[in-house]
Amino acid sequence: MSSPVVQTEALNRIFVRGDEEIRALDSISLTIEPGEFVAITGSSGSGKSTLMYILGLIDRQTSGSYYLQAKLTDALSDNQRAQLRNQFMGFVFQGFHLLPKATALRNVAMPLVYSASYDRGFSLGAANERARAALERVGMADRMTHRPNELSGGQRQRVAIARALVNSPQVLFADEPTGNLDSKRGQEIFTLFKELNSDGVTIVLVTHDGQLAAQATRQIVMLDGRISSDTGGVNATS
Amino acid sequence: MPLAELLRLSAESLLAHRARAVLTMLGMIIGVFAVVVLVSLGQGAKNYILSQFTGLGTNLIMVQPGKTDKKSSFQAPIGSAQRKMTIDDVTALEKRAFNLEAVSGVVLGTSSIRYEEALSNTSVFGVNDQFVHILNMQVADGEFFSREEEESGRRVIVLGQNIRKNLFGDDTPIGRSVKLNESEFRVIGVLAAMGNKLGFNLDDVAFIPTTSALRLFNDDKLFGIRAKASSKSGIDDAVLEIADILKERRDGEEDFTVITQVAMMDSMTTILNMLSYVLGGIAAISMLVGGIGIMNIMLVTVSERTQEIGIRRAVGARRGDILQQFLVEAVVLSIIGGLTGIVAALIVTHGAYIFMPDFDMRPPFWILGPAFALSVGVGVIFGVWPARKAANIETLEALRYE
Repeated sequence: MSSPVVQTEALNRIFVRGDEEIRALDSISLTIEPGEFVAITGSSGSGKSTLMYILGLIDRQTSGSYYLQAKLTDALSDNQRAQLRNQFMGFVFQGFHLLPKATALRNVAMPLVYSASYDRGFSLGAANERARAALERVGMADRMTHRPNELSGGQRQRVAIARALVNSPQVLFADEPTGNLDSKRGQEIFTLFKELNSDGVTIVLVTHDGQLAAQATRQIVMLDGRISSDTGGVNATS
Repeated sequence: MPLAELLRLSAESLLAHRARAVLTMLGMIIGVFAVVVLVSLGQGAKNYILSQFTGLGTNLIMVQPGKTDKKSSFQAPIGSAQRKMTIDDVTALEKRAFNLEAVSGVVLGTSSIRYEEALSNTSVFGVNDQFVHILNMQVADGEFFSREEEESGRRVIVLGQNIRKNLFGDDTPIGRSVKLNESEFRVIGVLAAMGNKLGFNLDDVAFIPTTSALRLFNDDKLFGIRAKASSKSGIDDAVLEIADILKERRDGEEDFTVITQVAMMDSMTTILNMLSYVLGGIAAISMLVGGIGIMNIMLVTVSERTQEIGIRRAVGARRGDILQQFLVEAVVLSIIGGLTGIVAALIVTHGAYIFMPDFDMRPPFWILGPAFALSVGVGVIFGVWPARKAANIETLEALRYE
């Protein structure tokens, strides 16, 4: 059996605000296997986004250990973490986070520019080719030269997903990807995630939409920095 | 990140805020323009002044009373003379120095000069018959005074061109009498126009025999001695010879200074180069201001683009990539500004050369390299801090920044 994509041991994250310590994550131990579609829900302030950003190597835990594909990440340098984000994972945000002045194609090709530092075989032509393929994959083949302000919210999020996919990531992290969309568009985007998952991409999705979360293969509910329920894996509580 | 991509990002970012970019560059444009123009101006002034010197002939030797420690000092020493310098010194040099072609004492004074109703003030040089040879002067009309006229202290006078024009207009002055401080002098010659030499416009000077000048100004000492070495290669021997002869006449004391054209030109060159550098330095301050402008606008850009930085970091940009991106943008700004400044300076100085061919202030070729390097340097120095700031932004905070 292949090793877990994500494995944490007693992960803590403490924010210090003035004299006050806020325990955003309280001893989280979690394992996610390849190919899982995990929806993390919980009220705001429950720590679900904090957890996702630590798993996505954007934030760092205060204590505890995090293994990514069975490799301990705790001692990785800033540059090594950047490389893993670039080559191993993709991100989708609630606010789309596209570069407003760049076309859809340029936005999607952007991560590949940084891949050039890791992969000497990189060429701009090949990058554009891959960006095109990613846009086709999310159904945006006819909008490649559009800028974000010429696209609807749903279309923007598709471009953002294409950007996350462009480097063929093992795992895709999404933070409230449907939060800025109406329910119809939200469902469409969610369906796209399900398709990607059936192609083998592991998906970790943070949402507060219970209806969407129910369609994931595994639901984790967080409360006050702890996992209060988990429908799958070794931590199954339901 | 590939350089082409970096340049493309910079271009996009600058084009997105055109007016801002142009205004920011303006600081650099003015700074580099000022550096190039002022250094060129200094160089032009130097070349102009040195060309004045070479016009006098390079065999010129000047002897001034008083001793200075620095051998090459251009300034005639003041007040430290132990003994007067007299006509006897000139006579001794004439008799004994083999390496001199001509020697003359110089008495310096100013006087009123009157011809009939025309009156003006003039500089008067008391010199001997050899002086024309020493300064390579040409007599346009009449003749310079002879040895005999000089020795007997005749009241004869040779006029510079401007004095002739002022006093006589188109009349011929030869044989007429002019009054210097109420003493009558007979005009025997007029010099050809010479223009400015050694800070004196010789066209404004009247020449009379040394002895007459001493009487006129009621004095017995010389301002200095001027001599001409027989040959350019013999100039060092001539200097030693002069020193030996005069020292002997002063009981071995060297209370005078011998200055040659070469030494004078050396010290002039030093002074004028200093002038160039000081001007350039002052101009460099305006480049500093330009650099601060770049830093300011880069700080604004970084804070405006915080979210973009977060996005780039999230998809795999390292801190170094972000640093590079903003640093290149600052350098592109300063290079474009610098090049524009250089081009503007070239246009202005070459334009000025068309109107003032005498005073060539076209930039020396070597200034272009440093001017360009300086603009790159300003971009790097003032771009580093904003770029570092951008690189050090925490990804998570940047992503949440609105």
